[in-house]
Amino acid sequence: MIFIIDDDRIMANCIADVVQNDYKVFSNAIDAMNEISISGLPKLIFLDILLDGPDGFTFLNELASYTDTARIPIVIITSLDLDNRDLAMYGVVGILKKEKMTPQDIKDYVDKYE
Amino acid sequence: MDAEVDGILVAAHELKAPLAVLRQLAFVLDGATLHDKRIKKDMINVSERAIKQVNDLVKVRRLEEGMFVMEPVAVREVCDAVSYELRYLFNEKQQSLKIHYSNRSRLVSANRELLYSVIYNFLINAMHYSDVETETLLSVKDSGERVKVMVRDFGPALPIDVWREMKRGWIDKPLSIAMRPGSSGLGLFIASRFSRYMGANVGAIRHRDGTSFFVELPVSKQASLF
Repeated sequence: MIFIIDDDRIMANCIADVVQNDYKVFSNAIDAMNEISISGLPKLIFLDILLDGPDGFTFLNELASYTDTARIPIVIITSLDLDNRDLAMYGVVGILKKEKMTPQDIKDYVDKYE
Repeated sequence: MDAEVDGILVAAHELKAPLAVLRQLAFVLDGATLHDKRIKKDMINVSERAIKQVNDLVKVRRLEEGMFVMEPVAVREVCDAVSYELRYLFNEKQQSLKIHYSNRSRLVSANRELLYSVIYNFLINAMHYSDVETETLLSVKDSGERVKVMVRDFGPALPIDVWREMKRGWIDKPLSIAMRPGSSGLGLFIASRFSRYMGANVGAIRHRDGTSFFVELPVSKQASLF
């Protein structure tokens, strides 16, 4: 299972179209966190940062607080300038800029972690 | 950071978001078969909203030139027109828009174009912060010598810092994206500037289960029958 967390429904659908199979879309971090506690760990999370309610950084902190969720690979998808930030300690395996990423970029991460 | 530069950065960020979405939709459209109609519809909606935001920003600049004439305006007619334009978006987001008119005074002193944008931005803001299958309420009622147009949503409570800005009466610059993620900081700034130009009061009420944004417009003495 791959999680897509983005409060922009259209952007989330675009990512889902590339992922194609076995994914769940969430518009906020709380629903995603609840789903993890119910269904278990996803193989990969595509995470937007500016979300309604708790933002992406809060979500990353929450995941990093538990030994099991800390291992989930996370790809941040954002239009913020995060290039120079080292977020590996939060399980972040990549940062994609919304205005530059291509479907192939998403597919590469799906192929690697699915 | 200089307030104007900060404002430009927020505006640029918010205008970048729909462009990024359009770009992704174009990629999807390239290999699409089943979802063609949905993608095209999304592209039209996103681009129309972006164009409206850019137009509103241009209008903010033109406010200083006094380009907008104040005239008697029928509030209900403007509310009807805005809600008609946005009905598709509410449907697509599986939300509903409920309208309640209880005002006697039919005409206010305003500029129709600016009032349209104020109500539009309030409704877009409410839509953005509401969940699926929730309701947004658009109401118009008399408030002394003014007519109050209020948009109530049932989303998350308004952040305290944004509420303080609104309580002060108007917003100086587009609100920081850190305060208000999504696409409404610019919209609230625009609504605030337009309202101030029209001599209207703007404000917000924090509820436990959402937020109301309102604008109070002076009743038009010129064409009042009451």
